Amino acid sequence: MQAAASTVALERRVPAEESARADFYALLARLFHGAPDARLLASIARAPALDASSPLASAWGGLTAASHAMDADAAREEYDALFAGVGKAEVPIYAGFYLGAPAADHPRVRLRRELAHLGLAPREDNSEPEDHLAGLFDVMRVLVAGGAGRAAASLAEQRRFFETYVAPATQRFHAAINAAPTANYYRKVAGFAAAFVSFESESFQLE
Amino acid sequence: MKTTKPHARRKFLLAAGIGSAGAVAAAATKGVAVATHEPPQPKQGDGYRLSEHIQKYYKTTEV
Repeated sequence: MQAAASTVALERRVPAEESARADFYALLARLFHGAPDARLLASIARAPALDASSPLASAWGGLTAASHAMDADAAREEYDALFAGVGKAEVPIYAGFYLGAPAADHPRVRLRRELAHLGLAPREDNSEPEDHLAGLFDVMRVLVAGGAGRAAASLAEQRRFFETYVAPATQRFHAAINAAPTANYYRKVAGFAAAFVSFESESFQLE
Repeated sequence: MKTTKPHARRKFLLAAGIGSAGAVAAAATKGVAVATHEPPQPKQGDGYRLSEHIQKYYKTTEV
């Protein structure tokens, strides 16, 4: 008698602390994808403080306080003023600008290869180039917690993508936002993004 | 007792207390289109796809 072949799907649970990392990546992806609406601002404003006294906790406190004071219309105007318009935006939101982009091997080209290697591709309804900051944070979300048809990546794989693209672009983007006269709410968003990236850098050292 | 690196990393993450705020962050983004990636679509070798419409047509030609 021949045994019937069957496939058993094994689902590996993501630990709570790793899931929390993915949640923060999701939030950053959302905030860089577009301006927060009233519901999102209210949710962030209600969020609890982080337990520890640290640069991350301080930056998170700054973002929650700013979300309490901000209204959605002003956030949209600021987002458009800062980031809208390719080539003439006050602050470029594309990693290629910050990573030094030689024409022959532009980060977008490398990212396209990298995404294919990771088993990912931009959604068809996503018209933004691969190096948009929202896209990079979204890739990290998927690598940390799994999603988009793939399992969570190993820490080594997460770290490689993070250190190649996410960390250097975010820190330089943060400096650019700080220098932009129009920036107000997004100064806090970028401040939190930079603090979170520093926190992640430190945690990867403990890998 | 020797502390292993994964344990140290977990302790570091837990000490930061990102769990509760992270949950709120997750709830805040529920129902909002943040996902910008999906699995790559398999490539059609010659760009030709057997659509439902064409399949129906073939059925009408069967004897």
